[in-house]
Amino acid sequence: MTLDFSIVLRFQEALALGLWMTIKLTLICVVLGCSLGFSIGLARTSRSALLRAASSIYVEFFRGTPVLVQLFWIFFCLPLILGVELSNLTSGVIALTLYMGAISSETFRASLKSIGPEQLDACVALDLPRRVQVTSVILPQAVLRAVPTLLSNCVSLFKESALVSAVGMADLMFVGQNISNNTARPVEVLTVVALIYFVIAFPLTRAVTLVERRVLAKLAI
Amino acid sequence: MDYSFDFQSVSFGPLWEGLIVTLQLTIAANLIGIVFGFPLALLIMSRFAPARLPAMLFVEFFRCTPAIVQIVWFFYCVPMLFNVFLGSMTMGIMALGLNLMAFNAEAYRAAIQAVPREQLDASIALGLNPLQRTLYIVLPTAVRASIPVLLTNGIGIFQQSALVAIVAVQDLMYQAKTLATETYRPIETFTVVALVYFAVSFPVSQIVGYLERRRQLIMS
Repeated sequence: MTLDFSIVLRFQEALALGLWMTIKLTLICVVLGCSLGFSIGLARTSRSALLRAASSIYVEFFRGTPVLVQLFWIFFCLPLILGVELSNLTSGVIALTLYMGAISSETFRASLKSIGPEQLDACVALDLPRRVQVTSVILPQAVLRAVPTLLSNCVSLFKESALVSAVGMADLMFVGQNISNNTARPVEVLTVVALIYFVIAFPLTRAVTLVERRVLAKLAI
Repeated sequence: MDYSFDFQSVSFGPLWEGLIVTLQLTIAANLIGIVFGFPLALLIMSRFAPARLPAMLFVEFFRCTPAIVQIVWFFYCVPMLFNVFLGSMTMGIMALGLNLMAFNAEAYRAAIQAVPREQLDASIALGLNPLQRTLYIVLPTAVRASIPVLLTNGIGIFQQSALVAIVAVQDLMYQAKTLATETYRPIETFTVVALVYFAVSFPVSQIVGYLERRRQLIMS
């Protein structure tokens, strides 16, 4: 068969719109998901057993089921349960934020754990109130240590966001599939779509390695 | 909320068949990933650029594009490009297997790099040739060290296997979609299916946690 990649150029605006949707969705969910993840990470290390149990169930459940199932559940079941119509974007944001919250809470938990007990001893010795302990001692170190893993979580989220095409959200994958079905040129269109994802995700993964080295150097470990 | 639940409408027959298909996909893909991931890792680490570059490109490509794109690409493009027509099950296994191969290769690479330098020195001192060194020194140590990550990747592919439902392989997710549409009971169906996925992957992830803790104890 002959390949003709110029066909993709005719649809560049549609693909750009799809890409914009993918990026928008990813960015919103990164911000919301990281904040959720940090609170859940704190909850999992809290002294209240109830808070610990509830947050563990949430995290284990979202890490233990396929994102596709979560998406379907939120797209088809949540509106029935809540009794309100949710827009595509809202459902997508809810689903991916919950997913991002679950994986980044694990990241934060690991980085919280890595802060040595001597730091807390020092806080006690200095008689710092709990609030200051969290905001001025624990938070800066935990966030710094979490940055590389959080970045790779963002790359995962960017990749998982392609799943929303299965529930009919017009992201890059959805637009690509539509074009390939209508033009009967799957090889060209889908290859270009894959390349677009790659071109964005690959530099990010390189950045993860760079940032990791920086952070390690800064923490001098 | 005025929704009355009806879990009776979830018929377990099709879901059971779907689960079997999902497990078959998972196991076959894991076999491919575990077996071929190792040589791929050796290729990535090779000093010979014509061997290293394609292998690295392969790994990076699978790690940096969404799995759904890979699967859809595989199902649409491989038959057109290479003029081969395989059953959907075979295609699904190959797509998932190649994906897992890339991720496992990275796991093996990290483990190989963690093999202590002294062991390699010792094997050279004993006059082992490179093949023997790889088979008897590097392979056993690296495989044992990478088991937790391999298991994590294995559950990952179990979850990713739900994606083949999109290209109409009749796995658990596909049966769930069909059942939900037939019975108009999405909440019950998808909840049950989510629980099934959870029931399989949760124990495995607990085992991973246990293995990692034990490893840390041994190391310390």
